[in-house]
Amino acid sequence: MDSLHLVHVKLLAADLLTLTPRHTSPASFVRGGRTVARAEVVGVVVSRDRREKFLRFLVDDGTGCVPCILWLNHQYLNANSSSDSDPTGEMASKMSEVVRLGTLLRVRGRIVMYRGAIQIAARDVVLEEDPNVEVLHWLQCVHMAKECYDLALPSV
Amino acid sequence: MASSTLKPGVPITLQELEPSSEIFKQGASLRVTGILQSYDVDSAVAVIQDGSAMLKVDTQHLRDISFRSGSMFQFIGELLIRPDDDVILQARVGRNVDGLDLNLYQQSLIIRRQHEARLLSSRRA
Repeated sequence: MDSLHLVHVKLLAADLLTLTPRHTSPASFVRGGRTVARAEVVGVVVSRDRREKFLRFLVDDGTGCVPCILWLNHQYLNANSSSDSDPTGEMASKMSEVVRLGTLLRVRGRIVMYRGAIQIAARDVVLEEDPNVEVLHWLQCVHMAKECYDLALPSV
Repeated sequence: MASSTLKPGVPITLQELEPSSEIFKQGASLRVTGILQSYDVDSAVAVIQDGSAMLKVDTQHLRDISFRSGSMFQFIGELLIRPDDDVILQARVGRNVDGLDLNLYQQSLIIRRQHEARLLSSRRA
C-alpha cells in the first residue's frame, strides 16, 4: 500500500500544479503513478483576498503561483468535516493574520480542485522569518523527489 | 485577488540580468535579491547590488518596508526596459532578507533549476 497519500508531500509549485487529478472523493492526485492528497509548499505571498468566510491567497515559489484557500467559517468546516485535521475557525482566523503581501509562508493542506485548477485547502499556515528556510525547502523538494517520490513502488 | 494566472517571479541573480540573457525581456516576472545601496524617498527607487551587478527597483507600490542601506532585500516584480537598456524592476512585493546565505541561495538555485528541467522533460515524455 502506497502511504504517500497520507503525508504532506513537499513540492515545488511547478510540480504541484501539474499533478494529474483522479476522480475520487475526497480528491486525490497522481504523481508518477503514486497517489498524493496533501502538499506542503513554501513561498512568498503575492496576492491576498479576504472575505467573510475564507481567505484566498497566492504563494509564489518562483516556479509557479499556488492558489491557497483558508476557510474561516467554523460552521462550514464542521459541516464538511471530511478531515478532523481541518483548523477551527479561531485557529484559521489567527493563521490568516500572517498572510500578508511579501511574507514568506509555509502552507500545508489538502490538494483540491476548484474550477478546474489545483489549489491547497490550507490546514497550517506558518510565517517563516528565516529566509534560509525557503532554500532548505527547495533542497528538500529535490532530495525527496529523487529519494522517495520518483521511486517506483515495489511490486507486490 | 489579482488572479491565479499571475506569473511567478523567477529567481535570478543580478549578474544574470544582462541584455544578452534570455531573461532580459520586457515585462519578465522576476525575483531579485541584493544589498540595498541607496533609496530615494521622493521617487521610491531603490538600488540593490550583488557583487558588481546593480539594479534599480521601483518600490512605489510597496508598503510597510523599512529601507535600510546595507540590508539585503528581495523583490518580485516585472522588468521594465527603457531606451539604452536602462532597466528597472517594478516591484509588486518585497521583503527584508537579512541573514540569507546568498552563496547557498545561488548554489541551491542551480540545483533547483536542474530539478525543474528534469521535471519538465519527464512531463513531456
